[in-house]
This record gives sequence, C-alpha cells and structure tokens, in this order.
Amino acid sequence: MDRLTRTLSSVFTYAFLGIMAFLSIFPFIWMILGATNTSIDIVKGKVGIGSALMDNIRAFAAAVDVPLIFWNSIKIALLSTALTLIVASLAGYGFEVFRSKYRERVYSAILLTLMVPFAALMIPLFIMMGKLGLIDTHWAVILPTLGSAFVIFYFRQSTKAFPSELRDAARVDGLKEWQIFLLIYVPVMRSTYAAAFIIVFMASWNNYLWPLIVLQSNEMKTITLVVSSMASAYYPDFGAVMVSAILATLPTLVVFFVMQRQFVQGMIGSIK
Amino acid sequence: MNKTFKTSLAALVFSTSSMMAMAAAQAKDITIWCWDPNFNVAIMKEAGAIYSKTHPDINIKVVDFAKADVEAKLQTTLASGVTTSLPDIVLIEDYGAQKYIQSFPGAFASMNDVVDYSKFAPYKVKLATVDGKTYSMPFDSGVTGLYYRKDYLEQAGFKPEDMQNLTWDKYIEIGKKVAEKTGHKMMGLDPNDAGLIRIMMQSAGGWYFNDKGELNITGNEALKAALTTEGKLIASGITKPAAGWSNWVSTFTSGDVATVITGVWITGTIKATKDQENKWGVAAIPKLDVKGATDASNLGGSSWYVIASSPEKKEAIDFLNSVYAKDVDFYQKILVDQGAVGSLMEARKGAAYETADKFFGGEKIWQKFADWLSKVPSVNYGVFTNEVDSAVAAQLPALGKGGDVDAALKAIEAQAKSSMQ
Repeated sequence: MDRLTRTLSSVFTYAFLGIMAFLSIFPFIWMILGATNTSIDIVKGKVGIGSALMDNIRAFAAAVDVPLIFWNSIKIALLSTALTLIVASLAGYGFEVFRSKYRERVYSAILLTLMVPFAALMIPLFIMMGKLGLIDTHWAVILPTLGSAFVIFYFRQSTKAFPSELRDAARVDGLKEWQIFLLIYVPVMRSTYAAAFIIVFMASWNNYLWPLIVLQSNEMKTITLVVSSMASAYYPDFGAVMVSAILATLPTLVVFFVMQRQFVQGMIGSIK
Repeated sequence: MNKTFKTSLAALVFSTSSMMAMAAAQAKDITIWCWDPNFNVAIMKEAGAIYSKTHPDINIKVVDFAKADVEAKLQTTLASGVTTSLPDIVLIEDYGAQKYIQSFPGAFASMNDVVDYSKFAPYKVKLATVDGKTYSMPFDSGVTGLYYRKDYLEQAGFKPEDMQNLTWDKYIEIGKKVAEKTGHKMMGLDPNDAGLIRIMMQSAGGWYFNDKGELNITGNEALKAALTTEGKLIASGITKPAAGWSNWVSTFTSGDVATVITGVWITGTIKATKDQENKWGVAAIPKLDVKGATDASNLGGSSWYVIASSPEKKEAIDFLNSVYAKDVDFYQKILVDQGAVGSLMEARKGAAYETADKFFGGEKIWQKFADWLSKVPSVNYGVFTNEVDSAVAAQLPALGKGGDVDAALKAIEAQAKSSMQ
C-alpha cells in the first residue's frame, strides 16, 4: 500500500516534470525543426524535419555578414562582461571589507539606481553618448553596463561568505590590500565570478534596446538586432529567421552548460 | 568646386571619427533607415544603384532595422536633439505620418519646391501634408482589391462578372452560397484585427479623425457602416476565424477560403502558392451602403521622409525626386522584383503594369490596381490612428457576437479619448 502510494506519487511527479520540461524545451525544438523547413511549411505549422536547412543557411548568409555580426556580439559581450566583473567585484569587495562613515549611504544610493527604469535613462544617456562622440561605436554599448548595481550587490552578498580569517592571515603574512584581493579573494571566489560571468554575459548578449538605439550602421549591428530586423519583414523568411535564432541562442547555451556547476555553487555561496 | 571643398571641410570638422571624415571627403553618403530586407531595403538599394549611375559622387547607404525599431530610434534621437546621428532619409508608415510631422515640427523637410505632387495618388500626398506643406516622397501603396477563387465561385454557380460592382450585402449572399455548395468559407478574418474596418471606412472617405484631425467616432457614418458590416459578416457564418497574421495568411495559402480582401501587397504571397495558378481573379472591393461609398481603399503603405537638419538634405531630396517621382522604369522593376505598387500615377504606362498576369489567368490586374489607386479617397490619418485602432479592435469580439453597434462606438470613443491624453 505504502509502496503503491510512493510509486503513484513519483509517477505524478515525473509526469508533471515531464510536461513542464516539454513546455520549456518545445520552443527550442520548434526553432531547430523550423531551421530545416521552408518558410511556407513553418507558417502552415509543419512539425517535422524538412530539407531546406542548407537553403535557409544560404539565405541567412546572403542577407547579412554573419561572421562580422557574430564577432560584434561576441566582442561586446566579452568586453562588457570582463569589465563589469572587474568593476563590480572591486566595488562589492570594497563595500563589504572596508568600513567608512558613508559606506551604507553610498551603497543604498547605488542600489536605488536599480529602481530607475532604463526607458527613463535612454534619452539622457543618448545625449551623453552623442556629446562624447560615441554614437555608432561599440563603446557606447559597453560603457553604460559597467557600473551594474545588481552585480555589485551580488558581489557584496557573496563577499560576506569570504572568511575574514583568510584576510587577517594574509595581512599578518605581509600582503598588501591589492595583493589580498588579487591573490586570495579572486581565486577563492572563483565560483562567484563564474556565476556573475554567466549573468552578465547573457544580459549583454541578449541586450537589445540600447544597442538598437546607439548602433546606426549595418557593420556595427549585433545578432539580436539582425534577428529582429529579419523577423519583422512583411513576409519574413521564417527558415532564415530560425537559423539566425539558433545562432543567437547558441553562445548563451554553451556558456551556461560549460559553467553550470560553478553557477550553482556561486548561487549557493551568495545565499549562505 | 568651392562648394564641395566647403562640405568636405564641414564633414571633416563635424565627423566624430577620422575614418568617417575620410569617406565623406571623397563621396557624399546618403544614409537611409528602413525595414524589411526583402522589400524596402531591396527597393532602396535598387533606387540607389540607378541614381549612382548618373551621380557617381553619391553613395547610398541603406541600414535596415525592424519597423518598430526604426520608430524607436527615430523618436529617441529626435527627442534627444542629437541630430548628427540621424540618417538623411527615413521610412515612415503612412498611419504614423501625421504623428511624426506634428510631434517634431521642423524635423522633416518639406519638398513642395522640388517635387511635383500632382503626379502621385492624391490620398498618398494628403496624408503627409500639414498646413499646405508636404513632407514625404510617396512610396508603396496598399490599394485594396478583392481576390477571389474562380474555381470555388464557379462551383457555387458564379462567374467573374458576378464579382464586379459588389455591395457587402451581395458579397455575404454569395458567401452563403459558396459555403453551401463548396463547404469553403468566404474569407479569413482575425477578430482582433481592425484592418478590414479601416479598409471599409476609408473606402467611404471616412477615418477615425475628421479633416481637421479631430476624433470622429460616434457621429462617423463610415465607421458605423463598417462596424455594422463586419458584425453581419461574422454573424452570417461565412468567415473563418484566424488567430494572428500568419494564421490569417494560411487561410488562403492553404486553399481554405474563397476570397481575400486586403492591400495589393498580398499579391506576391498569393502568387507564391504555385498550385493555385489560374484559379484566382481580382475585382474591386464591395461598397458600403453609405453616402460617398466607393470601391477603392487602402491598407498600410509607407513613404520616405528627408531629415531637415541633414547636411545632405539637398542631395537626398534630389535623389528621391529623380527616382521616385520620375523614373517609370524603376517602378516596373520593383513591381516585378518585389511586387511593390508605388504611388506615381504614370507608372501604369510601363511594360510591367501593361502585362497580363499569367497567374491570374491573363488578367491585366496591375491596370485595375492602378485605376483603384487613383480613386482611393483621401482622409486625414491624424496623430493617434494606432491608439484608436486598438480601441476598435477591443470592441470587435463583442460585435461578432451580435453586440450593439452604437454601444461599441461609444466604448471606442471613451477608450480612444483616454489613450489620446
């Protein structure tokens, strides 16, 4: 009896999880199947593998300079991730480790910026970039992301788990403050960096509105802009759109799977 | 010579990067923002190629973004006042024309001094005119037609002659016969889309706004007739409900419904279904039963605008004027390659417009569309067409269930007023 209930409950659990997994994976399957079908078949709702994959890839490659666009996205994502991690980890470490009279006030002020919606910042930011002469450059996309309040917050929370004994021991051993940060803190907090890397990389890779506003020429565009432009035609070539969508999803998938374990550890670390 | 020197000097001073300055010193760039790589972008590149032949010093650069994105970029940039990053020419959808011209006075260049607007379909000129000044180079038209399946109608006992000079009542009557004899519905209809309402309303010279641009809902005979007709269409059971655009398109590409009433730009999609060759005919859309009703209307369409602050303003206007206002051959090419119907009336004299279309059983369909194009009633699209459109769309499901038209008009007016504030 008891065993029956247990089996039943696990059947339900798995059925439920199965349905949920299907719901979240189906769009990806659809995207991949779509890339192999012609636009007309996709609109008709065909589910199944078609034979138009090469045609779709060719159509996509003919429409845009794929390597250039891909490189633009990679460059922006990697640069802004690396720089954001440097800025935010230094800030998070500093806020947690060093005491000062104004620490909490400054910190709250930074957190408050989380509450300002980006739409409200867009026009002033655009004017700023215009005055700096950065419109239509990749720096205009990268620079505004660097002082990310959320990532600073995340690093400060994680730093709480960084044992102060380690720092004290390092000080006794005669390390300077910047050496403690570089030689002790950074290696110990590896998983925190990994998790932050995933978060920032994904946000930057998928960033849409701001690159759209500041990037003006075809040569500067990122992959998200290209997908949007292709999908919004009066009669989109959905096959080619699916190919571009796969290309746009791939890097985030790779980054996530490669760093998955560190990601989970990093998340647990920040809660502790 | 002196002028070129001056402009190159200006380019050197104003350009933000040295690379850009070098390019500008050699040739002038005309930058264009528009959407749809297969349509507007391809057409503009073609226009650029034609113009560059006679003007080798001009370099046409077409940048493509999604339509909503062009609008977002344009609004942000105009609002920020950083005009150096604006393009020289931008594509704007006709329904939004008045909004841009009136919200950003002085941002767009009027072209009355250069362009002979009498050569274009009058409704395309009027929609971009404010206080006697016209700000657009009229481009693609959404002149409407009634596409019908000759085979289905024949099975139901109707000949192509029976499809001419229709009223909506007659259309519904035919639809019932077709459904009875062939089992096919008469048209696909998205109950959340007000497109058909707009077609019917404009065919009778009405719009959500009167000539002065003021909201005109409860006393609007054309709108009332359109809503009543759509209610009747749904109640008669001859429509096949469609969920969204792609689904609507598939109602006829799959051979499900017997007619399509929409803008001329759908022709390419219909012709893409090769197995339906020779099965389609084209007729004028049915007339509403109100004063001023015609059988010509419009759905969608867009036009080119020159940014007034652009350093290449003169060149940009000359480019648009030489190709879009004069070159009849260009219009033949874009009709054949992209299926684009422009607004230049002379274009119909070209070879492509004169050709009998094999797909439509040898009918000269482009001449028909050219006829209707000249007859589309001019209306004022106003500043808030999109806002009122969603108010109308919100009332459509209730109307389909037999709701009261006057109550719907009141509800539309209330919602429109609140979203226009």
